[in-house]
Amino acid sequence: MRIEVLALACIVGACNWAFRYFPTRANLHELPPGSPVTRFLAATGPAAIGTLFVASVLPLVKDLSGPAPLTLGAGVGAVLLVHAMTRSVVIATLAGAVAYGGAFWLAAA
Amino acid sequence: MTAQDAIGCPDGPDPQAGTLLNGFWASLPIVLGYVPIAFAFGVAARGVGLTLAEAVALSLILYSGGAQFVALALIGSGAPFLVSAFTLIAMGLRHVLYGPALMRRAGPGAARRHAWAWAWGLTDEVFGTALGALARGRRFSEPFMFGLGLGAYLAWGTGTAMGAYAGSGALAAWPAVEAGLGFMLPALFLALLLSVLSRAQLPVLAVAAAATVAVTLAWSGTAGLLAGMIAGAVAGVLNRRGDSGAH
Repeated sequence: MRIEVLALACIVGACNWAFRYFPTRANLHELPPGSPVTRFLAATGPAAIGTLFVASVLPLVKDLSGPAPLTLGAGVGAVLLVHAMTRSVVIATLAGAVAYGGAFWLAAA
Repeated sequence: MTAQDAIGCPDGPDPQAGTLLNGFWASLPIVLGYVPIAFAFGVAARGVGLTLAEAVALSLILYSGGAQFVALALIGSGAPFLVSAFTLIAMGLRHVLYGPALMRRAGPGAARRHAWAWAWGLTDEVFGTALGALARGRRFSEPFMFGLGLGAYLAWGTGTAMGAYAGSGALAAWPAVEAGLGFMLPALFLALLLSVLSRAQLPVLAVAAAATVAVTLAWSGTAGLLAGMIAGAVAGVLNRRGDSGAH
């Protein structure tokens, strides 16, 4: 194994660990409800997940002339429908992937 | 680990507190999403000349999907070591937001004695899944976080090894399967979003989405991620109708 690859992994990995661990030690429970910091933290979750969803979908909609609208519509529709029916993240995720793959197969056939 | 540490609740055993196995089960959609992406990373790593051991080492030590793909581009282009290191470190900065948001949601009695270990696995997907579980009434517990993180970590390492071993073209004969697996993470993020989103947080989501699209198109995907998260969270500060993180 090349030492420069290992060193790069170790340095960046150590920083990733620090970014993930040290903020969990912050004592934030004495913040008054409704304070700006409290609202910032409450909004971080939905903002982060929404951002990740949009960022992960963007590459799939780059070429709207192909089967992307059909496959994406099928995948998103399946997640919405199955989540509404079951409230299960696991089942909704699997249903979305199956619907997306199925629509892709149909479009290619 | 004491019983109190294990469940993260000062009032004794709590059926709502997740176990290690609950965490493993909750990691299933992450596992299904990680394996194909890690597989693709393993294939790409071999493509830029890394050995199987180097590819797996990057996944196990660096453990950050987006940064790993960028690392391949930097290594492949012969970028200077310090430039590569600073670029990859900057990509991980967004994780700073996750710990406080998660612990705030977990509540004041939440154990964090072993956070030095489970926080290593606090990736985007693990954070989202943990937050979704808390939003659905699951009480925070460190064993749950261990199970959740470990399932995802093993999947990432295993997928990388499989991809690096198989080499290019392994899924070429199964394009529909490849497409379905490729949609696993968007589907997971959407399902998680549905489980944590309230009507009051819709403006937060709209601002985050708009900032992500604008900055991604104008600059880069990494900048878009950071901009979306920060813009959405700032919108939450300005949005006085939003909930205040009560748990």
